Amino acid sequence: MRPATLARLAVAGNRTDTLRTILTALSALLATVAMLAAATVLTITGWAERYTNPLLIEPGLRPGVSATLILVALPVLALAGQCIRLGAPARDRRLAAIRLAGATPRESVLIATAETAVASLLGSVAGLVAYLVARKVIDRPALPTDILPPAPVIVLLVLLVPVLAAAAGAVLMRQVIVTPLGVERRIRTRGPRPWPGLLIAAGIVLFAVPTRLPEHINLSKNWVYAFLGSGVMLTMVGIVLGTGWISSTAGRLLRRYGRGPATLLAGQRLITDPWNGSRTMAALLAAVIAGAVALAYRELLATEFRYYDIYNAMMGSTDGGGMGAAEAPEFYYGAIRLVVVAVSLASVVAAAGVLIALAESIVARRRTYAALTAAGVPRRTLSAAVAWQTLTPLIPALVLALAAGDALVRLIDSEIPVGYEFRDCVAAGYGGCEAPRHPEMAQILHVPIPWGSLALLGGGALLAVLVAVGAGLLVLRASTDLDELRAG
Amino acid sequence: MSERSALLSGIGIARSYGATPALRGVDLAVGAGEIVAVTGPSGCGKSTLLHCLAGILRTDSGTVTYRDQDIGLWSEAARSRLRRTEFGVLFQFGQLVPELTAVENVALPLLLAGSGRREARQVAAEWLDRLGVGELAEQRPGAMSGGQQQRCATARALVTQPRVLFADEPTGALDALTGEQVLGEIVRVVREQGTSVVLITHEASVAAYADREIVLRDGVLDPTGLGLGVGR
Repeated sequence: MRPATLARLAVAGNRTDTLRTILTALSALLATVAMLAAATVLTITGWAERYTNPLLIEPGLRPGVSATLILVALPVLALAGQCIRLGAPARDRRLAAIRLAGATPRESVLIATAETAVASLLGSVAGLVAYLVARKVIDRPALPTDILPPAPVIVLLVLLVPVLAAAAGAVLMRQVIVTPLGVERRIRTRGPRPWPGLLIAAGIVLFAVPTRLPEHINLSKNWVYAFLGSGVMLTMVGIVLGTGWISSTAGRLLRRYGRGPATLLAGQRLITDPWNGSRTMAALLAAVIAGAVALAYRELLATEFRYYDIYNAMMGSTDGGGMGAAEAPEFYYGAIRLVVVAVSLASVVAAAGVLIALAESIVARRRTYAALTAAGVPRRTLSAAVAWQTLTPLIPALVLALAAGDALVRLIDSEIPVGYEFRDCVAAGYGGCEAPRHPEMAQILHVPIPWGSLALLGGGALLAVLVAVGAGLLVLRASTDLDELRAG
Repeated sequence: MSERSALLSGIGIARSYGATPALRGVDLAVGAGEIVAVTGPSGCGKSTLLHCLAGILRTDSGTVTYRDQDIGLWSEAARSRLRRTEFGVLFQFGQLVPELTAVENVALPLLLAGSGRREARQVAAEWLDRLGVGELAEQRPGAMSGGQQQRCATARALVTQPRVLFADEPTGALDALTGEQVLGEIVRVVREQGTSVVLITHEASVAAYADREIVLRDGVLDPTGLGLGVGR
């Protein structure tokens, strides 16, 4: 097949296909801009006092800024992945017709992935143009518009999104068998197993390595970042994949204990396609884990500031000087707020992804829904089934994500002793040690669990999904129109 | 038709869907240029037999031989290539890509085989003319009548000048008059080209166009051969 033929077949489509192409390109644009911005921040070297933003001035803070920007890019990438399935039934029919004309299975997958790759590439290139234009328009003192990442990095980032999108498309297509007679999906005869729990455990162990090592073992900063980063990533992957097992288990419980047809329909759907939750909720769960980490880290920082305050009081430095960063907590809280804002943005994008996935899954089954309506099943029953199907696996997955995010930070420190080192020093009989000045102040500061903030985060994520479900149910109303029974 | 001179043959073809048998050991041979009608009641396995012979479905047991090659041993990709070069497939409906124009639909097998766009479109336009729908070249299937769509589908099935055409109820979705016109054109063209045809139908008027009729009942050949009346 010639490239021109591939391109023609890849761009052939109806209005839904056009919408999918636009959304894919748009999400690729946003992700590329975010990643280029992250790379730009990483390109700054040394103390950069030419900028007014303190987060850009200090070299130690810039990796955090970049990580935050990448955090925003991740759900946008996930959104691009979810857009790939938008309007899938019509595309599947088209692919089957092309297969009937003699296309091989490989060619049909190539046509589907080429469409995604081309749309993503257009979006990435537009993102690069937007980034370059923004550099010219925005003032330097606030943002690093005077530097560019190295050219190979720019090329890599512009190509990264299309490659990832095409790969995601190919992975999603692996469950789809396009035959000349139509499209079949591989049915799993066995439900998911709880093996992702092992990934979560491995992630926690990796994260714990640099925080629990004996003091005489010094890891370089890069190794520490590698352990912490891979620990968080493994935990995220474990929770996202674990949602498959949660869905399957929730489906079985719903089917067994549920009352009424809505829970029966929802339970059976969850059992039949348990990985749907993993696919649709991946970005949201990743954002919630990142948010839980940020909120828990904020509590840890607050506890450390209290430690510094007590320490400085003990040492008599009550004039605003003394040890530690307690004198400028707002700066650090500001950085955490930046992460929380990024997480909120990511959650909104992720909720948009949930809406797209939900709408797609409803449209894909519109004839079944229309047939059920024709047979007398009330629309509210179908709406309830869709809501059960979405929310039942989500709630335990959210609780797990919040708990995991908090647990990771508690591995760094869950309590900070104050004043004990002086007491120990005296007991050991070292002549040079001073007696504690304020032995009554010796205490252990427990890092509290931020229940309120975590509940707010989880509630916000749940609310975002509820809004998405509400919007998705509008699609259900249109899809239960009896005219759908006449659609080809 | 002796198996020695058969272009396409199936021996002992069996195929089930889960626990439900659709074909239970069917033998069939189709000679070069021969039109064979496969008839029988609904659910007797006619379409499954066509899908097995065309290499769309694999058989559970038995062999399908085309030009002395057992295509059951071929990969899915190789059977796809066979369908776009040596075979043409024509269904009742649904085989045209709704997003492509008529000429693009007809050119599709040529494009998939690696032909250039201009050359493929030219050949496709000639085939549309030949089947009397040349003026619809730039129309999409949604803007055509059922008969026009079926003529386009026929042009697409024949554009590669296949040796065998598989037609599954090709006029089943058309009214009697249009169906007869379309079928008349199909038969005229395949006779001109010497194309063999496996024609699935449950209509006597359609089966009457065939040189030979075989009858399926419950997944096996009906030994009485009392079908819809070809040759009687």
